[in-house]
Amino acid sequence: MLDAFSRAVVSADSSTSPIGSDKINELKSFVAEGNKRLDAVNAIASNASCIVSDAIAGMICENTGLIQAGGNCYPNRRMAACLRDGEIVLRYVTYALLAGDASVLDDRCLNGLKETYTALGVPATSTVRAVQIMKASSTAHITNTNTEAQAGSSKFRQMAVADGDCSSLASEAAGYFDRVISALS
Amino acid sequence: MKSVVTTVVTAADAAGRFPSTSDLESVQGSLQRAAARMEAAEKLAGNLDAVAQEGYDACIKKYSYLNNEGEANSTQTFKDKCLRDIKHYLRLVNYCLVVGGTGPLDEWGIAGQREVYKALNLPTAPYVAALSFIRTRGCAPRDMSAQALTEYNALLDYVINSLS
Repeated sequence: MLDAFSRAVVSADSSTSPIGSDKINELKSFVAEGNKRLDAVNAIASNASCIVSDAIAGMICENTGLIQAGGNCYPNRRMAACLRDGEIVLRYVTYALLAGDASVLDDRCLNGLKETYTALGVPATSTVRAVQIMKASSTAHITNTNTEAQAGSSKFRQMAVADGDCSSLASEAAGYFDRVISALS
Repeated sequence: MKSVVTTVVTAADAAGRFPSTSDLESVQGSLQRAAARMEAAEKLAGNLDAVAQEGYDACIKKYSYLNNEGEANSTQTFKDKCLRDIKHYLRLVNYCLVVGGTGPLDEWGIAGQREVYKALNLPTAPYVAALSFIRTRGCAPRDMSAQALTEYNALLDYVINSLS
């Protein structure tokens, strides 16, 4: 498993050169933006169960066949497995966001996931849809732009954090979700 | 590669939980110390060749018998390789400063070091002499800030200990 710093080390080592000013300036900005990153991770982790259940519920609303007899979220046992898997994917995306590198997501979550799902008969299109919804709500939580209309009045909650531009972190997180989507499809 | 972030993520993953507040606190702690490490790494990378040359010269001056025929510094090829080895250690120190742990030195420098030097019949004392010279040569604030120098010296001490 690598983070942003050890990724720089591994790529510099492949050309046996020390890490010079260019790369170090990149890492310095990573350090300077560190608190934003921690807030972003916290925003996802603190709202994880909401993000996951919303995504799975959304996936089912769009395709109610999933919870009818013969559907992949029927009975409760399989629905529970679905919720659990959603949480696992979101957890590894959070790790990748914390580390600033996708290696933990690739090695520990995505490696062999598509084959496993194919073997178990999990429909790829529904899985991808759930990940897309998690991506949308996670990026909204990172930029703190989630609205009451999106969440519903009973669930709506915004983090009390200092205002700042988190668009680059939101797109980084979106990139990790896209990685999941392309690994599954 | 072991670092604060990977240690935190490994622990959280083993427990199957999201990063907790205390996980984030420890990552924040490492980020706060990162500025000094980055400064040291940048300064070292900029002067690596000169620093290595000084250390090499100092160690050959101390162990001048190495220039005698049949010794480890007798031919130009050997001289180049001696200097290269010192640069190699400094490069790994640069990596360790960036990562914020001793992972690169452990994995790429120290693991198997004793066996290699034994097999090639190389003395380790001259390496210690070169690195000790480099260790005492660094000076704050001329070369880098005091905090950066502390981080840099700690890693040089780590290599010196592994060779002695």
